Amino acid sequence: MTKRIPLIAREQKRMYTIFIAVALVLFIATSFYTNFNIMTLAQNSDAFWAFITKDFFPPALPKASRIPGVLSSVVVTLALAMSSTTIAAVLAFFVSLFASEKISPFPKLAKYVRGFATFLRNIPALVWAFILFSSLGIGTGVGFVALLITSFAFMVRAFVETIEDVSQDCVESLQAVGAGFWQRVWQAILPSCLNGFLSWFLYCIEVNIRASTIVGMVGGGGVGLTLFSYIKGFQYDIAFSIILLIAAMVIVVDRITGKLRKEILK
Amino acid sequence: MTDESVIPSTVRNNSAEKASNKIPVGCKDKNTFVPRFLTGVVVLTVLSLIYLNIDWLKLLSRVPDVGVVFWDLAHFDFSDMDIIFSSMLETVSIAVLSLLYSLILGIAFGMIAARNIFKITWLSVLTQSFFTFLRAVPTPVWVLLMLVCLGMGSEAGVAGLCVHTTAFFTKSFAQSFESISDETMEALEVTGTSRLSIFINAVLPAAFSQIVAWTGMRLETNFSECAILGMVGAGGIGYVISRNLQNYNYGSAGIAILLVFIVAYVIERLFVHIKKKI
Repeated sequence: MTKRIPLIAREQKRMYTIFIAVALVLFIATSFYTNFNIMTLAQNSDAFWAFITKDFFPPALPKASRIPGVLSSVVVTLALAMSSTTIAAVLAFFVSLFASEKISPFPKLAKYVRGFATFLRNIPALVWAFILFSSLGIGTGVGFVALLITSFAFMVRAFVETIEDVSQDCVESLQAVGAGFWQRVWQAILPSCLNGFLSWFLYCIEVNIRASTIVGMVGGGGVGLTLFSYIKGFQYDIAFSIILLIAAMVIVVDRITGKLRKEILK
Repeated sequence: MTDESVIPSTVRNNSAEKASNKIPVGCKDKNTFVPRFLTGVVVLTVLSLIYLNIDWLKLLSRVPDVGVVFWDLAHFDFSDMDIIFSSMLETVSIAVLSLLYSLILGIAFGMIAARNIFKITWLSVLTQSFFTFLRAVPTPVWVLLMLVCLGMGSEAGVAGLCVHTTAFFTKSFAQSFESISDETMEALEVTGTSRLSIFINAVLPAAFSQIVAWTGMRLETNFSECAILGMVGAGGIGYVISRNLQNYNYGSAGIAILLVFIVAYVIERLFVHIKKKI
């Protein structure tokens, strides 16, 4: 009789089994429900390939007269992301002070402020854009407000977490000597949390660059709208060069924010 | 010589402090980067706002309309419940299915993209830069292109979501794999274990908890991405929302939006719960 020594701890093994079983059940259930079959993709692969090679490549430039328009639409997208994130950050800073039970002057209200932010956050930016389009009309201003709402709500959550992660000794000792609410904020919370806030702010800019492209697609203006109109017009080769442009824009912004974040957290 | 030059200056400092009766509290070598950064942000924001040239007065004058729309949205209309529920289920299914496919693809590509597994540097760099490109383009763009290739239906949604999710997983899994200590790898290497076997038996189990954490995080994103896909032309709950809003069926749209919120909230709570356990 051979006795085998288990190589993996039993606890761990059970966790793997549960994970794989759940994944398998979900896979079968969802495949069945959506009628998705990987074979359909395989069958369509030649059509797919033809689409990529014929319609997509090589990327073509839009007409020379259109190029300045395309470039200015990129600037609109960047400007939308930048301005909405900054204003959202300023608003979120003040609101997050009231959303953290430890420092808020009205601790009982903190829960409701957080709940409100959760509600705003869990509805995607594009849904907000649609709700606002139906009341404010289509335009850059509405895209701005839609981005503002979601990034504001996201930053309230991130800022509250940052505030609560930082040690409360400073705040407490200031309270003990009789410092007022605003004195506590300026002297204790802001100096210790500013770098954390800024790091979240940079993350939010990265997210918003992508989001402002998407909001643009449904009518917020910017490069998203340009791309959408080329795709709808079946000019896929031009659309592809705009996709490359978007990718370049996002990668450059990610690089810059990455550098800045390193510098801030140093 | 150095001593002579240092001592008088400290004495002078002390006397200066005594004279003004103040202890300097400000830190001398403060990080000057943050103030410069903040100034830059403010300048860029002001420039952006000027460039965007938004008609604020017009926007403000229409704010009461927003209240009216929300009022209409809050008057729930339960007549289309069956369509809303089935499209919601479809959205969740697409999100989960694309997550599962991407999980497998992400592990496979992450294995190639991590520098320490096969140790073929050019292949890792190539894979990583390719997926950086895929990740940089927003998901709806991929879905739109898939819609063109594959036609309407769940295939386009799953395939389009997979592109972005796989790219995300490849990057984050590669990071997790690379954080595994070289000693473990070397110890197995000297026993003559093949690289694939090292990956399956040492690297994958070590990165397991991180993989679960990334998956949970991505499910949240995938759901909200999936919910908006309908708005650019694919099916699911997004289509129901945008169609109802455009047809002024605010009651049905309100329910659909509320449902999106509830599901997103449940996923978020679930994820927080699982993260605490791990």
